[in-house]
This record gives sequence, C-alpha cells and structure tokens, in this order.
Amino acid sequence: MTSSERTLHGITVSSGSAVGHAVRAFDPLFISLNLRISPEEVASEIARFRESVEKSSAQLRRMQAQLKRRNAEESSFLIDAHLLILQDRLFVDRIIAKVESDRINAEWAIQQVTEDLCEAYDRLEDDYLRERRGDLDDIVRRLLHNLQSKHMPPVRKLPYDAIIVGRSIPASALFELRSRHIAGLVTETGSSLSHTAIMARSMEIPTVMGVHDLPEIPSGALIVVDGSEGIVIVSPTKETLSRYGEIATREKKSKRLAASGAKPCATEDGVRISLGANINFSEEVQAASECNSEFIGLYRTEFDFFREGGRPDENALTADYALVLKTSKSMPVTFRTIDVGTELNSLATRGLRFCLENQDLFRAQLGALFRASVKGNARILLPFVSSIENLDEALEIISDVKRNLSRRKEPFSTGVPIGVMIETPAAAHTCDLMAERVDFLCLGTNDLIQYYFAIDRSDQSAAHLYSPFHPAILRCLHLIYMLSLQSGKPLTVCGEMAADPASAAVLLVMGFTSLSVSLGAYPRMRHAIASMNHEKLRELSGQLLGLKNSADVESMVRSSIGLVPSHHS
Amino acid sequence: MIERQIAIGHRMGLHARAAAKLVQLTRRYESEIVLFRNEGGNNREADARSILAILLLAAGHGSTVAVRASGKDEAEAVDCICEYLKG
Repeated sequence: MTSSERTLHGITVSSGSAVGHAVRAFDPLFISLNLRISPEEVASEIARFRESVEKSSAQLRRMQAQLKRRNAEESSFLIDAHLLILQDRLFVDRIIAKVESDRINAEWAIQQVTEDLCEAYDRLEDDYLRERRGDLDDIVRRLLHNLQSKHMPPVRKLPYDAIIVGRSIPASALFELRSRHIAGLVTETGSSLSHTAIMARSMEIPTVMGVHDLPEIPSGALIVVDGSEGIVIVSPTKETLSRYGEIATREKKSKRLAASGAKPCATEDGVRISLGANINFSEEVQAASECNSEFIGLYRTEFDFFREGGRPDENALTADYALVLKTSKSMPVTFRTIDVGTELNSLATRGLRFCLENQDLFRAQLGALFRASVKGNARILLPFVSSIENLDEALEIISDVKRNLSRRKEPFSTGVPIGVMIETPAAAHTCDLMAERVDFLCLGTNDLIQYYFAIDRSDQSAAHLYSPFHPAILRCLHLIYMLSLQSGKPLTVCGEMAADPASAAVLLVMGFTSLSVSLGAYPRMRHAIASMNHEKLRELSGQLLGLKNSADVESMVRSSIGLVPSHHS
Repeated sequence: MIERQIAIGHRMGLHARAAAKLVQLTRRYESEIVLFRNEGGNNREADARSILAILLLAAGHGSTVAVRASGKDEAEAVDCICEYLKG
C-alpha cells in the first residue's frame, strides 16, 4: 500500500472524468487470431468450446422464451434451427475433432469447419437453401463472441463505479453492459474513431484508449480516468481525488445549464445553425429531447436491430420504430438503415452493400419504417453508398416495399424523405448525381476521411495520419458544399468532425449550417457555436483553402475561434 | 434394419422449418436414422439428427428419399418419419 501516484498516458476518446475501481476485462481473442495449442491444452480448449456452446444455447433459449411471449412465431422457429445447429454432430463434433487432431484453438477450428460447410451450401442450386448459410454465420458469430467474452466478469458483480480496463473491448461488449453503470473505460487498442469509441461517447462514458501500460493497473485498484486529458491516474493521492471531485461537480452543473437553454442554436452574430443529435439506441431519444435537440440527425439502427443477436421481424420492428417516433414527438428522426461495421465484416458488405445482399432484412426494416412513419416525423438514410447503380437498386427496393404495403392495405406516409449518406470518396465526388435522386444528403466525415487517407480507423498506429484539417479534406468539403448547394437539397454533417469545436468551425467556414453530434457532445457544441462568429469564419474560406498543410489549417482555425493552438502536432 | 422410400410432400421441400421439425422427431427414437437421396446418380446420405446434413440433401417438393432406421424402435421410427415427410 505504499505505491505512489502514477500517470499513464493515452489518447482522449470520450471526454469527462471519473473516479472508480478498475475491473480488468481479460483480453478477448480476435476473431482472426489463429493459435496453435500444446497437447496439454487440448482438453481445456475443448472445455472452453463446450462452454461457449452451452452459453450460446442458454442465450438462444432465453430469447426464444421472450419471443414466445411476444407471439413472434416465425423468429422463434428460426431460433429452433440455431439451437439444432448447436447440437449438430456434423458441426460440434467436427470442431472438437479439429481441435484435437490439428491442435488449434477453438476459434480456428470453428472457422475451418464453417468454411467447409459454407462451401457445401454454396454448391447447392436451391437459392433458399443457399441462404441458410446465413444461419450458420449467425451462430458462428455468437459462438465466437461467447468464446471471447468468456472471461468478462459476470456483469452482476460489477461495482457501481466500475472502470473497465482491457486490451481491447468490442463495441458489442459495451452494448451488452449498457444497462449497468460503467464509470469509465480504458483500453490499449482502438482509436477515437472505433465503434467502441463512438459507443462510449454516446453512453457518455469517460474513455482513454491507447494506454500501453495496462499491467500497471491492478484489478480492483482505485483509479482516475480523465477522458478530456487522455490520462489515467493510478493510486491517486488525496489531493488528486478532491481535484477530480470538484471537476465532476462542475461538469454536472454545466451539463444542466446547457440543457436548460431552450433557445435555438445560433452563432454569436445570429446565424442559425441546426444542431441535431446522433443516437445508437432507441432509449436515447428521450435524452435527446431533454437536451433540446432540434432533430435526430442520425439514428444508427443496427445496434437495436441486432439486439440480443436475433433478427426481428417486420411487426416487431414497426412497434419499435413507432415508439421511437412517438417519444420524439415533433422532432424529426433520421433512421439510417443497417450499417454493419468493418469490425466484423469486410468492406464488401458495409452499409448499403449489406442491405442489398440481405434483402429480406432490408425489406423488413423498410416496411417497418414506412408503417411506423404515420406516428411521427421519420426520414430514411441509406449508408455507405458508392455508386449510382447501388443507389438506384436501393430506391427500386424502396418503391417495391411501398407497393407491397399498398397492396396489403397497410397505412404508411408516402412522403417519407429518403437521403444518402456521403461517406465514400466516390459518393463525395458524385453527390450532385445522388442528390437528384433523393430528398436530402448527410455527410459522414469519419469514413470519408479514413478512405481519403487509405487508413483503417480501428488501427491506432495509423491514427496520426487521420486529419480533418488536411488540405485534401478541405477541398473535398468545398466540393461537396458547392455540389449540394447547386442541387438545392439540404445537407447535414453528422460525423465526428461536427463534434469538436475546431473542426466544426472548419465546417462553418466551408458553409455548412446543419450539424448533428453525439449526445455527449451536444451541450458542449451548442455552447461552442454560440461563441463563434459566422461572418468572420466564412471570410476565412479562401485563405484556408490556400494553406498547404494540416497544422497551418488547424492553427488558423483555432486562433480564429479563440482556442489555444493544439499541443499535439 | 428397415428402409422405406417416400416422396417429400412438403410444399417447400425439406427446408429449414421442416428439417428442424424432422430432427426434433428423430430425437424421440433410439434407432440410428439415416436419409438417402439419389440425385443424378449421386447418392447422398444424411444423419437425420443433423439439421445441417438434412438441409444439404436439398430434397425439394416431390423428390424421393429413402428412410433407413436400425435399432430397437426402427419400425415405429420409419413409420413416424415417413408419415411426417408425406406432409
């Protein structure tokens, strides 16, 4: 107990600070991590696999019980099929045999057996049966997840002030913990643009990533996470603790203040900036209206869609979406259709590409959105579009879904605006062509910037290459603004760029006047925009576009809004 | 050992729902139960307790499969399964 205070450095991911007790999450294995094991490890590896089979079955049975209560017969039968796969010798016994004979870890064996089976399915001529490999994928995902999270502490035992510490925490794990209170999060891998980071911000969990000295944090230790400074303090002194106690009180107060102001968001010189909120879960709609958000600029529907790992049917979804719209009252809600992240999928199946390949899911979701649309002000946003052909295909499906609803005599509102997410370089350069076909545009800066720089946003070693202030990004923003202006279609910026005062100022410089940010950033951004001078910023555009590097752009913008120059350069 | 041929009567063939039901039925019997299907000279077989194997048989509506059971309750098993497959 004689250890003295130490400070570990990382990167700031989700602001705010927390004092709490460290809960070590053992490092989950990555899906792609294939390991050879020693003969002595075979028995325990098989036991680990069996445990994950048991755990998966138990989860499925629980889900089934819930579905039966909701009379969702169709989905309940699908779960039957999943359960039977988990008892199938062709699957389970072969995986065990592989672990034994090849001496490989369970993840690898699952992968190999699944590949064999999928090949067999692909050879079938029956389209419907070929689709059944989707059930297999679903089960495999669940198994892998359970294998990996086997070491997560039982959630019921989390202390109230738990700060989760682990090498890498998947976004889904955070999601599963969401009903518990998590005071903070510290990880070694991941960057501020990973899905875990986005999730942490939306849950307002102070988070520091990129901390390389995790062994320095013993389980159960009292630590401080300062997400605003990007530091973790181990064995804090009394002085440190009281300092952070004061900070916490101040943060709470400023949050209440920002939330209480009901007047619309505007710059210092009175230019209206529409400020919306980005949400990941339907539960956040209430919080968004409490902080006087003008609209929901982005509701990432996939988190709720794949909740519990199941696939909801159209009726269940209709009820969910109707509730969202009822809760949001007159506030417009932009439902982004399912966008499965790159953490589990290849780029080939991101966003709209996933929807086009899984049309049954896409159609169920669209049908539900249209049916729920009579309850409020809904807008539909198509993610990750990269070609006009894809967009046209999606629009054709949308028309078809509407025709089907009319035939079935289901009431729906015909005028639901359809929008396109501009987040690939291809979409950015053709956003005028896309705008002709839809009602609104939404600019997703996170993906757009990473694909401009050809980097992976979950890879922290490349994070320094990511810069919203880069001349290439400025030129791209300028182009998008001009094209959208010509098209006359409204555009909202809903990426991380809008959630930081300096990069949001760049957006104002470029002409954008509609932003949408995570709930955690909402009060801060409302406050920051109120102190910006729109006219002064707009005058900067020529100068800014003439600069040659990110550092110059950033420092010019920061000084123009009265911020100190950034220390990391 | 008893073997009997039967034409699949289910409108959709041995698809997921029917296959799942079939696996649940075979669970009631002790006997080993195997399905055979001859398609274009290719003889394929499936353990009737394996949903993945049954789906891979790709036995559509009207196709013929042979149900073979061996064990104490083979007669009841074949009766019950053929009755089910008739649709």
